[in-house]
Amino acid sequence: MLRQRENKDSFKAGVLSVAVHAVLLIALLISFNWKTTHPVSIAEVELWDSIPNNLAPKPLPPPEPVVKEAPTPEPKPVVEEKPKEDAKVDIALEKKQKELELKKLEQKKAEEDLKKEREKKEQALVQKKQLAVLQEEVNKDKPLKDKKETQKSNDALKKLAQEMLDEDKAQGNQQAIGAKAAANAGVVGEYQNKIRTKIRGNVNKTLCGDGNPELKFDIDLLPTGQLNGNPKLIKSSGNSACDGAVERAIMASEPLPLPSDAALKSQFRNLKLTFRPNDGN
Amino acid sequence: MSVSVANDMSIFSLVAGASLPVQLVLAVLIITSLFSWWYIFIKVASIKRAETDAEAFEHAFWTGGDLNKLFEGLTADRHKPQGMASIFEAGFKEYARHKQQVRMEVSDVMEGARRAMRATYNRELDELDAHLPFLASVGSVSPYIGLFGTVWGIMNAFRGLSNVAQATLSQVAPGIAEALVATAIGLFAAIPAVVAYNRFASSVDRLSVRYESFMEEFTNILQRKS
Repeated sequence: MLRQRENKDSFKAGVLSVAVHAVLLIALLISFNWKTTHPVSIAEVELWDSIPNNLAPKPLPPPEPVVKEAPTPEPKPVVEEKPKEDAKVDIALEKKQKELELKKLEQKKAEEDLKKEREKKEQALVQKKQLAVLQEEVNKDKPLKDKKETQKSNDALKKLAQEMLDEDKAQGNQQAIGAKAAANAGVVGEYQNKIRTKIRGNVNKTLCGDGNPELKFDIDLLPTGQLNGNPKLIKSSGNSACDGAVERAIMASEPLPLPSDAALKSQFRNLKLTFRPNDGN
Repeated sequence: MSVSVANDMSIFSLVAGASLPVQLVLAVLIITSLFSWWYIFIKVASIKRAETDAEAFEHAFWTGGDLNKLFEGLTADRHKPQGMASIFEAGFKEYARHKQQVRMEVSDVMEGARRAMRATYNRELDELDAHLPFLASVGSVSPYIGLFGTVWGIMNAFRGLSNVAQATLSQVAPGIAEALVATAIGLFAAIPAVVAYNRFASSVDRLSVRYESFMEEFTNILQRKS
Protein backbone atom coordinates (compact mmCIF):
# COMPACT_ATOMS: atom_id res chain seq x y z
CA MET A 1 0.00 0.00 0.00
CA LEU A 2 2.82 2.37 0.84
CA ARG A 3 6.06 2.87 -1.02
CA GLN A 4 9.22 2.26 0.86
CA ARG A 5 10.41 5.83 0.69
CA GLU A 6 7.09 7.09 2.04
CA ASN A 7 7.35 5.24 5.34
CA LYS A 8 8.97 8.08 7.18
CA ASP A 9 6.08 10.40 6.32
CA SER A 10 3.31 7.96 6.98
CA PHE A 11 2.92 8.50 10.72
CA LYS A 12 2.93 12.25 10.49
CA ALA A 13 0.49 12.16 7.60
CA GLY A 14 -1.84 9.83 9.50
CA VAL A 15 -1.89 12.15 12.50
CA LEU A 16 -2.55 15.12 10.24
CA SER A 17 -5.40 13.36 8.46
CA VAL A 18 -7.09 12.46 11.75
CA ALA A 19 -6.59 16.05 12.86
CA VAL A 20 -8.29 17.35 9.71
CA HIS A 21 -11.34 15.22 10.43
CA ALA A 22 -11.44 16.30 14.06
CA VAL A 23 -11.34 19.92 12.94
CA LEU A 24 -14.18 19.30 10.52
CA LEU A 25 -16.29 17.67 13.20
CA ILE A 26 -15.69 20.54 15.60
CA ALA A 27 -16.50 23.06 12.89
CA LEU A 28 -19.74 21.20 12.18
CA LEU A 29 -20.70 21.20 15.83
CA ILE A 30 -19.90 24.85 16.38
CA SER A 31 -20.95 26.55 13.16
CA PHE A 32 -24.25 24.76 12.74
CA ASN A 33 -26.96 25.58 15.19
CA TRP A 34 -28.43 22.12 15.22
CA LYS A 35 -31.09 23.06 17.72
CA THR A 36 -32.80 25.44 15.33
CA THR A 37 -36.43 24.56 14.93
CA HIS A 38 -39.50 26.13 13.44
CA PRO A 39 -41.28 28.14 16.13
CA VAL A 40 -44.77 28.00 14.59
CA SER A 41 -45.33 24.30 14.57
CA ILE A 42 -43.63 23.93 17.94
CA ALA A 43 -46.04 26.32 19.58
CA GLU A 44 -48.90 24.44 18.07
CA VAL A 45 -47.72 21.12 19.33
CA GLU A 46 -46.62 22.16 22.79
CA LEU A 47 -50.18 23.09 23.49
CA TRP A 48 -51.04 19.49 22.80
CA ASP A 49 -48.19 18.02 24.73
CA SER A 50 -49.68 19.10 28.03
CA ILE A 51 -52.93 17.29 27.40
CA PRO A 52 -52.18 13.64 28.00
CA ASN A 53 -51.04 14.34 31.57
CA ASN A 54 -54.46 15.58 32.54
CA LEU A 55 -56.30 13.22 30.34
CA ALA A 56 -54.86 10.15 31.96
CA PRO A 57 -56.64 10.43 35.35
CA LYS A 58 -60.07 10.29 33.85
CA PRO A 59 -60.68 6.57 33.63
CA LEU A 60 -61.97 6.02 30.14
CA PRO A 61 -63.87 2.76 29.96
CA PRO A 62 -62.84 0.81 26.90
CA PRO A 63 -64.77 2.15 23.92
CA GLU A 64 -67.55 0.30 22.15
CA PRO A 65 -65.48 -1.64 19.58
CA VAL A 66 -64.54 -4.00 22.42
CA VAL A 67 -68.21 -4.57 23.15
CA LYS A 68 -68.99 -5.12 19.51
CA GLU A 69 -66.23 -7.52 18.77
CA ALA A 70 -66.38 -9.52 21.98
CA PRO A 71 -69.28 -11.84 21.11
CA THR A 72 -68.05 -12.73 17.62
CA PRO A 73 -64.50 -14.01 18.10
CA GLU A 74 -64.80 -15.63 21.53
CA PRO A 75 -67.33 -18.42 21.14
CA LYS A 76 -65.95 -19.63 17.84
CA PRO A 77 -62.57 -20.96 18.96
CA VAL A 78 -64.12 -22.58 22.04
CA VAL A 79 -66.72 -24.38 20.01
CA GLU A 80 -64.35 -25.43 17.29
CA GLU A 81 -61.51 -26.62 19.44
CA LYS A 82 -63.42 -28.62 21.97
CA PRO A 83 -64.50 -31.54 19.80
CA LYS A 84 -61.02 -31.89 18.37
CA GLU A 85 -59.42 -32.12 21.77
CA ASP A 86 -61.96 -34.60 22.98
CA ALA A 87 -61.37 -36.69 19.96
CA LYS A 88 -57.62 -36.70 20.53
CA VAL A 89 -57.97 -37.68 24.17
CA ASP A 90 -60.40 -40.39 23.29
CA ILE A 91 -58.13 -41.73 20.62
CA ALA A 92 -55.33 -41.93 23.15
CA LEU A 93 -57.58 -43.78 25.52
CA GLU A 94 -58.70 -46.05 22.78
CA LYS A 95 -55.17 -47.19 22.10
CA LYS A 96 -54.53 -47.95 25.75
CA GLN A 97 -57.69 -49.83 26.41
CA LYS A 98 -58.01 -51.64 23.10
CA GLU A 99 -56.64 -54.89 24.39
CA LEU A 100 -58.57 -54.92 27.63
CA GLU A 101 -61.97 -53.37 27.07
CA LEU A 102 -63.33 -53.58 23.61
CA LYS A 103 -66.91 -53.35 24.70
CA LYS A 104 -66.47 -50.24 26.74
CA LEU A 105 -64.83 -48.63 23.81
CA GLU A 106 -67.82 -49.26 21.63
CA GLN A 107 -70.05 -47.67 24.22
CA LYS A 108 -67.78 -44.70 24.40
CA LYS A 109 -67.85 -44.32 20.69
CA ALA A 110 -71.57 -44.21 20.74
CA GLU A 111 -71.49 -41.59 23.48
CA GLU A 112 -68.97 -39.62 21.59
CA ASP A 113 -71.11 -39.55 18.51
CA LEU A 114 -73.97 -38.31 20.58
CA LYS A 115 -71.78 -35.61 22.07
CA LYS A 116 -70.58 -34.51 18.71
CA GLU A 117 -74.07 -34.25 17.41
CA ARG A 118 -75.11 -32.21 20.42
CA GLU A 119 -72.16 -29.91 20.02
CA LYS A 120 -72.87 -29.46 16.38
CA LYS A 121 -76.37 -28.43 17.22
CA GLU A 122 -75.11 -25.98 19.83
CA GLN A 123 -72.65 -24.56 17.41
CA ALA A 124 -75.34 -24.03 14.84
CA LEU A 125 -77.46 -22.26 17.45
CA VAL A 126 -74.61 -19.99 18.49
CA GLN A 127 -73.86 -19.15 14.90
CA LYS A 128 -77.48 -18.33 14.25
CA LYS A 129 -77.47 -16.01 17.25
CA GLN A 130 -74.29 -14.35 16.09
CA LEU A 131 -75.74 -13.81 12.67
CA ALA A 132 -78.78 -12.20 14.18
CA VAL A 133 -76.65 -9.89 16.32
CA LEU A 134 -74.52 -8.96 13.35
CA GLN A 135 -77.53 -8.20 11.22
CA GLU A 136 -78.94 -5.98 13.91
CA GLU A 137 -75.68 -4.10 14.11
CA VAL A 138 -75.52 -3.71 10.37
CA ASN A 139 -79.02 -2.30 10.35
CA LYS A 140 -78.10 0.13 13.09
CA ASP A 141 -74.94 1.25 11.37
CA LYS A 142 -76.54 1.93 8.03
CA PRO A 143 -78.09 5.33 8.77
CA LEU A 144 -74.93 6.38 10.57
CA LYS A 145 -72.81 5.54 7.56
CA ASP A 146 -74.95 7.63 5.28
CA LYS A 147 -74.52 10.61 7.53
CA LYS A 148 -70.82 10.08 7.76
CA GLU A 149 -70.47 10.57 4.06
CA THR A 150 -72.29 13.83 4.08
CA GLN A 151 -70.37 15.23 7.01
CA LYS A 152 -67.83 17.83 6.04
CA SER A 153 -64.26 17.01 6.86
CA ASN A 154 -61.73 19.71 6.24
CA ASP A 155 -57.98 19.39 6.65
CA ALA A 156 -57.72 21.06 10.02
CA LEU A 157 -60.16 18.64 11.57
CA LYS A 158 -58.33 15.69 10.11
CA LYS A 159 -55.06 16.97 11.42
CA LEU A 160 -56.40 17.44 14.90
CA ALA A 161 -57.87 13.97 14.81
CA GLN A 162 -54.51 12.56 13.76
CA GLU A 163 -52.75 14.26 16.61
CA MET A 164 -55.34 13.07 19.04
CA LEU A 165 -54.80 9.52 17.85
CA ASP A 166 -51.07 9.84 18.27
CA GLU A 167 -51.46 11.17 21.75
CA ASP A 168 -53.91 8.53 22.72
CA LYS A 169 -51.23 6.00 21.88
CA ALA A 170 -48.65 7.84 23.94
CA GLN A 171 -51.11 8.23 26.75
CA GLY A 172 -50.40 4.77 28.11
CA ASN A 173 -47.00 5.81 29.41
CA GLN A 174 -48.18 8.79 31.36
CA GLN A 175 -49.21 8.41 34.94
CA ALA A 176 -52.28 9.85 36.51
CA ILE A 177 -52.34 13.18 38.21
CA GLY A 178 -55.52 12.70 40.14
CA ALA A 179 -55.76 15.77 42.35
CA LYS A 180 -56.07 18.25 39.53
CA ALA A 181 -58.85 16.28 37.90
CA ALA A 182 -60.85 16.29 41.13
CA ALA A 183 -60.52 20.06 41.40
CA ASN A 184 -61.74 20.46 37.86
CA ALA A 185 -64.75 18.21 38.29
CA GLY A 186 -67.06 21.12 39.11
CA VAL A 187 -66.16 23.01 35.98
CA VAL A 188 -66.56 19.85 33.95
CA GLY A 189 -70.06 19.34 35.27
CA GLU A 190 -70.96 22.91 34.48
CA TYR A 191 -69.88 22.58 30.89
CA GLN A 192 -71.62 19.23 30.54
CA ASN A 193 -74.80 20.99 31.53
CA LYS A 194 -74.13 23.73 29.01
CA ILE A 195 -73.66 21.13 26.30
CA ARG A 196 -76.93 19.44 27.29
CA THR A 197 -78.79 22.70 27.21
CA LYS A 198 -77.49 23.55 23.79
CA ILE A 199 -78.39 20.13 22.41
CA ARG A 200 -81.81 20.20 24.03
CA GLY A 201 -82.58 23.39 22.16
CA ASN A 202 -82.12 21.54 18.89
CA VAL A 203 -84.09 18.38 19.69
CA ASN A 204 -87.39 17.89 17.96
CA LYS A 205 -89.25 16.88 21.12
CA THR A 206 -92.38 15.69 19.43
CA LEU A 207 -90.47 12.66 18.19
CA CYS A 208 -89.65 11.52 21.70
CA GLY A 209 -93.20 11.23 22.94
CA ASP A 210 -94.56 12.07 26.36
CA GLY A 211 -92.49 9.88 28.68
CA ASN A 212 -89.09 10.59 30.07
CA PRO A 213 -86.76 8.50 27.88
CA GLU A 214 -83.08 8.44 28.67
CA LEU A 215 -80.35 8.16 26.05
CA LYS A 216 -76.63 7.73 26.34
CA PHE A 217 -74.29 9.02 23.66
CA ASP A 218 -70.56 8.64 23.28
CA ILE A 219 -69.24 11.82 21.68
CA ASP A 220 -65.70 12.43 20.49
CA LEU A 221 -64.91 16.13 20.51
CA LEU A 222 -62.12 18.16 18.97
CA PRO A 223 -60.68 20.98 21.05
CA THR A 224 -62.53 23.43 18.81
CA GLY A 225 -65.85 22.03 20.06
CA GLN A 226 -66.55 20.26 16.81
CA LEU A 227 -67.45 16.61 16.58
CA ASN A 228 -64.81 14.09 15.69
CA GLY A 229 -66.77 11.47 13.84
CA ASN A 230 -70.40 10.73 14.59
CA PRO A 231 -71.91 10.47 18.06
CA LYS A 232 -72.38 6.86 19.03
CA LEU A 233 -75.51 5.67 20.67
CA ILE A 234 -74.72 3.61 23.75
CA LYS A 235 -78.11 3.38 25.34
CA SER A 236 -81.19 3.75 23.22
CA SER A 237 -84.40 5.31 24.44
CA GLY A 238 -86.28 2.45 22.83
CA ASN A 239 -87.67 4.74 20.22
CA SER A 240 -85.54 4.91 17.10
CA ALA A 241 -87.17 8.15 15.95
CA CYS A 242 -86.23 9.76 19.27
CA ASP A 243 -82.66 8.42 19.02
CA GLY A 244 -82.34 9.88 15.54
CA ALA A 245 -83.73 13.20 16.66
CA VAL A 246 -81.23 13.51 19.50
CA GLU A 247 -78.38 12.49 17.26
CA ARG A 248 -79.30 15.12 14.70
CA ALA A 249 -79.58 17.65 17.52
CA ILE A 250 -76.06 16.86 18.69
CA MET A 251 -74.73 17.34 15.20
CA ALA A 252 -76.68 20.55 14.77
CA SER A 253 -75.24 21.93 18.02
CA GLU A 254 -71.73 22.17 16.64
CA PRO A 255 -69.60 23.74 18.00
CA LEU A 256 -70.36 22.57 21.49
CA PRO A 257 -69.37 24.88 24.35
CA LEU A 258 -66.05 23.90 25.86
CA PRO A 259 -63.91 25.40 28.65
CA SER A 260 -61.08 27.56 27.39
CA ASP A 261 -58.51 25.78 29.56
CA ALA A 262 -56.64 23.21 27.47
CA ALA A 263 -56.32 20.84 30.40
CA LEU A 264 -60.07 20.80 30.90
CA LYS A 265 -60.73 20.42 27.21
CA SER A 266 -59.05 17.08 27.31
CA GLN A 267 -61.79 15.79 29.60
CA PHE A 268 -64.30 16.45 26.88
CA ARG A 269 -62.41 14.69 24.19
CA ASN A 270 -64.32 11.51 24.79
CA LEU A 271 -67.59 12.50 26.35
CA LYS A 272 -70.27 10.14 27.63
CA LEU A 273 -73.39 12.20 27.65
CA THR A 274 -76.57 11.06 29.40
CA PHE A 275 -79.46 12.90 27.91
CA ARG A 276 -83.15 13.23 28.74
CA PRO A 277 -84.86 15.20 26.00
CA ASN A 278 -88.02 15.79 28.03
CA ASP A 279 -86.33 16.66 31.30
CA GLY A 280 -86.81 20.34 32.03
CA ASN A 281 -83.60 21.08 33.89
CA MET B 1 -43.66 12.49 18.53
CA SER B 2 -41.67 13.82 15.66
CA VAL B 3 -41.38 17.23 17.24
CA SER B 4 -39.21 15.94 20.04
CA VAL B 5 -36.93 14.43 17.40
CA ALA B 6 -36.72 17.76 15.67
CA ASN B 7 -35.69 19.26 18.95
CA ASP B 8 -32.43 17.40 19.44
CA MET B 9 -31.06 17.29 15.91
CA SER B 10 -27.44 17.07 16.94
CA ILE B 11 -25.18 15.44 14.39
CA PHE B 12 -24.66 12.46 16.68
CA SER B 13 -28.33 11.73 17.14
CA LEU B 14 -28.81 12.10 13.38
CA VAL B 15 -26.16 9.51 12.67
CA ALA B 16 -27.35 7.22 15.43
CA GLY B 17 -30.92 7.42 14.19
CA ALA B 18 -30.04 6.58 10.61
CA SER B 19 -30.84 3.17 9.18
CA LEU B 20 -28.15 0.51 8.86
CA PRO B 21 -27.34 0.98 5.14
CA VAL B 22 -26.95 4.70 5.69
CA GLN B 23 -24.68 4.08 8.64
CA LEU B 24 -22.62 1.66 6.55
CA VAL B 25 -22.32 4.26 3.82
CA LEU B 26 -21.22 6.81 6.38
CA ALA B 27 -18.61 4.43 7.77
CA VAL B 28 -17.23 3.66 4.30
CA LEU B 29 -17.08 7.33 3.44
CA ILE B 30 -15.32 8.29 6.66
CA ILE B 31 -12.74 5.55 6.16
CA THR B 32 -12.07 6.56 2.55
CA SER B 33 -11.86 10.17 3.60
CA LEU B 34 -9.30 9.32 6.28
CA PHE B 35 -7.25 7.34 3.78
CA SER B 36 -7.41 9.98 1.09
CA TRP B 37 -6.26 12.66 3.51
CA TRP B 38 -3.49 10.37 4.69
CA TYR B 39 -2.30 9.88 1.10
CA ILE B 40 -2.67 13.58 0.44
CA PHE B 41 -0.31 14.45 3.28
CA ILE B 42 2.14 11.71 2.29
CA LYS B 43 2.05 12.92 -1.29
CA VAL B 44 2.52 16.55 -0.32
CA ALA B 45 5.62 15.61 1.65
CA SER B 46 7.11 13.30 -0.98
CA ILE B 47 6.53 15.63 -3.94
CA LYS B 48 7.92 18.55 -2.01
CA ARG B 49 10.98 16.50 -1.18
CA ALA B 50 11.39 15.48 -4.82
CA GLU B 51 11.21 19.12 -5.91
CA THR B 52 13.80 20.33 -3.38
CA ASP B 53 16.04 17.37 -4.26
CA ALA B 54 15.81 18.21 -7.95
CA GLU B 55 16.57 21.83 -7.17
CA ALA B 56 19.60 20.94 -5.06
CA PHE B 57 20.93 18.44 -7.58
CA GLU B 58 20.58 20.78 -10.53
CA HIS B 59 22.47 23.40 -8.59
CA ALA B 60 25.23 20.93 -7.74
CA PHE B 61 25.33 19.59 -11.30
CA TRP B 62 25.60 22.92 -13.09
CA THR B 63 28.08 24.50 -10.71
CA GLY B 64 30.16 21.48 -9.67
CA GLY B 65 32.11 20.99 -12.90
CA ASP B 66 33.67 17.59 -12.32
CA LEU B 67 31.14 14.83 -12.94
CA ASN B 68 33.33 12.10 -11.46
CA LYS B 69 33.43 13.91 -8.15
CA LEU B 70 29.71 14.38 -8.18
CA PHE B 71 29.20 10.69 -8.93
CA GLU B 72 31.53 9.61 -6.15
CA GLY B 73 29.79 11.95 -3.74
CA LEU B 74 26.46 10.35 -4.62
CA THR B 75 27.60 6.74 -4.35
CA ALA B 76 29.52 7.40 -1.13
CA ASP B 77 26.30 8.57 0.47
CA ARG B 78 24.70 5.99 2.75
CA HIS B 79 21.24 5.84 1.23
CA LYS B 80 20.28 5.48 -2.38
CA PRO B 81 19.99 8.68 -4.40
CA GLN B 82 16.48 9.69 -5.44
CA GLY B 83 14.93 11.59 -8.27
CA MET B 84 17.24 13.42 -10.62
CA ALA B 85 20.31 12.22 -8.75
CA SER B 86 19.38 8.61 -9.31
CA ILE B 87 18.91 9.25 -13.02
CA PHE B 88 22.35 10.84 -13.16
CA GLU B 89 23.86 7.98 -11.20
CA ALA B 90 22.37 5.31 -13.47
CA GLY B 91 23.42 7.13 -16.66
CA PHE B 92 26.93 7.88 -15.49
CA LYS B 93 27.49 4.37 -14.15
CA GLU B 94 26.42 2.85 -17.46
CA TYR B 95 28.57 5.32 -19.38
CA ALA B 96 31.64 4.59 -17.26
CA ARG B 97 31.13 0.86 -17.63
CA HIS B 98 30.91 1.07 -21.42
CA LYS B 99 33.83 3.46 -21.52
CA GLN B 100 36.07 0.80 -19.99
CA GLN B 101 35.40 -1.52 -22.90
CA VAL B 102 37.71 0.01 -25.46
CA ARG B 103 36.25 -1.28 -28.65
CA MET B 104 32.75 0.16 -28.22
CA GLU B 105 31.35 2.74 -30.60
CA VAL B 106 30.44 6.15 -29.23
CA SER B 107 26.84 5.84 -30.37
CA ASP B 108 26.50 2.48 -28.58
CA VAL B 109 27.87 3.92 -25.36
CA MET B 110 25.44 6.82 -25.58
CA GLU B 111 22.58 4.46 -26.33
CA GLY B 112 23.37 2.31 -23.30
CA ALA B 113 23.59 5.27 -20.96
CA ARG B 114 20.34 6.62 -22.36
CA ARG B 115 18.53 3.33 -21.81
CA ALA B 116 19.74 3.11 -18.24
CA MET B 117 18.58 6.66 -17.56
CA ARG B 118 15.21 5.97 -19.23
CA ALA B 119 14.66 2.95 -16.98
CA THR B 120 15.48 4.87 -13.83
CA TYR B 121 13.32 7.74 -15.00
CA ASN B 122 10.33 5.40 -15.39
CA ARG B 123 10.91 3.99 -11.91
CA GLU B 124 11.05 7.48 -10.45
CA LEU B 125 7.91 8.50 -12.26
CA ASP B 126 6.07 5.47 -10.96
CA GLU B 127 7.16 6.46 -7.47
CA LEU B 128 5.80 9.96 -8.00
CA ASP B 129 2.53 8.70 -9.43
CA ALA B 130 1.82 6.43 -6.47
CA HIS B 131 -1.63 6.85 -4.83
CA LEU B 132 -2.83 9.26 -7.48
CA PRO B 133 -5.29 6.68 -8.91
CA PHE B 134 -6.72 6.19 -5.43
CA LEU B 135 -7.27 9.91 -5.03
CA ALA B 136 -8.87 10.05 -8.47
CA SER B 137 -11.33 7.29 -7.69
CA VAL B 138 -12.20 8.75 -4.29
CA GLY B 139 -12.84 12.08 -5.96
CA SER B 140 -15.17 10.61 -8.55
CA VAL B 141 -16.89 7.83 -6.63
CA SER B 142 -17.45 9.07 -3.10
CA PRO B 143 -20.15 11.61 -4.10
CA TYR B 144 -22.08 8.70 -5.59
CA ILE B 145 -21.68 6.63 -2.44
CA GLY B 146 -22.92 9.57 -0.42
CA LEU B 147 -25.81 10.02 -2.83
CA PHE B 148 -26.70 6.38 -2.45
CA GLY B 149 -26.88 6.79 1.33
CA THR B 150 -29.01 9.89 0.92
CA VAL B 151 -31.43 8.25 -1.48
CA TRP B 152 -31.77 5.30 0.83
CA GLY B 153 -32.40 7.52 3.84
CA ILE B 154 -34.97 9.62 2.01
CA MET B 155 -36.73 6.50 0.82
CA ASN B 156 -37.04 5.42 4.43
CA ALA B 157 -38.26 8.84 5.47
CA PHE B 158 -41.01 8.84 2.89
CA ARG B 159 -41.99 5.28 3.62
CA GLY B 160 -42.55 6.30 7.24
CA LEU B 161 -44.66 9.17 5.96
CA SER B 162 -47.02 6.84 4.12
CA ASN B 163 -48.48 5.54 7.39
CA VAL B 164 -49.66 8.99 8.41
CA ALA B 165 -52.88 10.53 7.17
CA GLN B 166 -51.83 14.14 7.63
CA ALA B 167 -48.31 14.59 6.29
CA THR B 168 -46.32 17.38 7.90
CA LEU B 169 -42.84 18.55 7.16
CA SER B 170 -41.68 17.77 10.67
CA GLN B 171 -42.31 14.09 10.05
CA VAL B 172 -39.92 13.87 7.10
CA ALA B 173 -37.45 16.57 8.05
CA PRO B 174 -35.36 14.54 10.51
CA GLY B 175 -35.11 11.62 8.10
CA ILE B 176 -34.01 13.86 5.26
CA ALA B 177 -31.51 15.72 7.40
CA GLU B 178 -30.17 12.34 8.49
CA ALA B 179 -29.88 11.24 4.89
CA LEU B 180 -28.20 14.43 3.75
CA VAL B 181 -25.37 13.85 6.22
CA ALA B 182 -24.28 11.04 3.89
CA THR B 183 -24.04 13.41 0.91
CA ALA B 184 -22.18 15.96 3.02
CA ILE B 185 -19.56 13.43 4.05
CA GLY B 186 -19.28 12.12 0.50
CA LEU B 187 -18.57 15.64 -0.75
CA PHE B 188 -16.17 16.25 2.08
CA ALA B 189 -14.21 13.20 0.99
CA ALA B 190 -14.43 14.00 -2.73
CA ILE B 191 -13.53 17.69 -2.90
CA PRO B 192 -10.07 17.53 -1.29
CA ALA B 193 -9.31 14.35 -3.21
CA VAL B 194 -10.09 16.00 -6.56
CA VAL B 195 -8.19 19.17 -5.70
CA ALA B 196 -5.22 17.19 -4.47
CA TYR B 197 -5.29 14.90 -7.49
CA ASN B 198 -5.16 17.81 -9.91
CA ARG B 199 -2.41 19.53 -7.98
CA PHE B 200 -0.30 16.40 -7.68
CA ALA B 201 -0.84 15.46 -11.31
CA SER B 202 0.44 18.82 -12.47
CA SER B 203 3.38 18.68 -10.04
CA VAL B 204 4.31 15.22 -11.28
CA ASP B 205 4.05 16.43 -14.88
CA ARG B 206 6.38 19.32 -14.22
CA LEU B 207 8.84 17.08 -12.41
CA SER B 208 8.82 14.58 -15.25
CA VAL B 209 9.45 17.33 -17.79
CA ARG B 210 12.31 18.51 -15.64
CA TYR B 211 13.78 15.00 -15.41
CA GLU B 212 13.44 14.52 -19.13
CA SER B 213 15.17 17.76 -20.04
CA PHE B 214 17.93 16.90 -17.60
CA MET B 215 18.33 13.56 -19.32
CA GLU B 216 18.70 15.25 -22.72
CA GLU B 217 21.21 17.74 -21.42
CA PHE B 218 23.20 15.11 -19.60
CA THR B 219 23.27 12.96 -22.74
CA ASN B 220 24.72 15.89 -24.64
CA ILE B 221 27.40 16.41 -22.00
CA LEU B 222 28.32 12.73 -22.07
CA GLN B 223 28.52 12.80 -25.85
CA ARG B 224 30.86 15.75 -25.73
CA LYS B 225 33.03 13.94 -23.21
CA SER B 226 33.41 10.76 -25.20
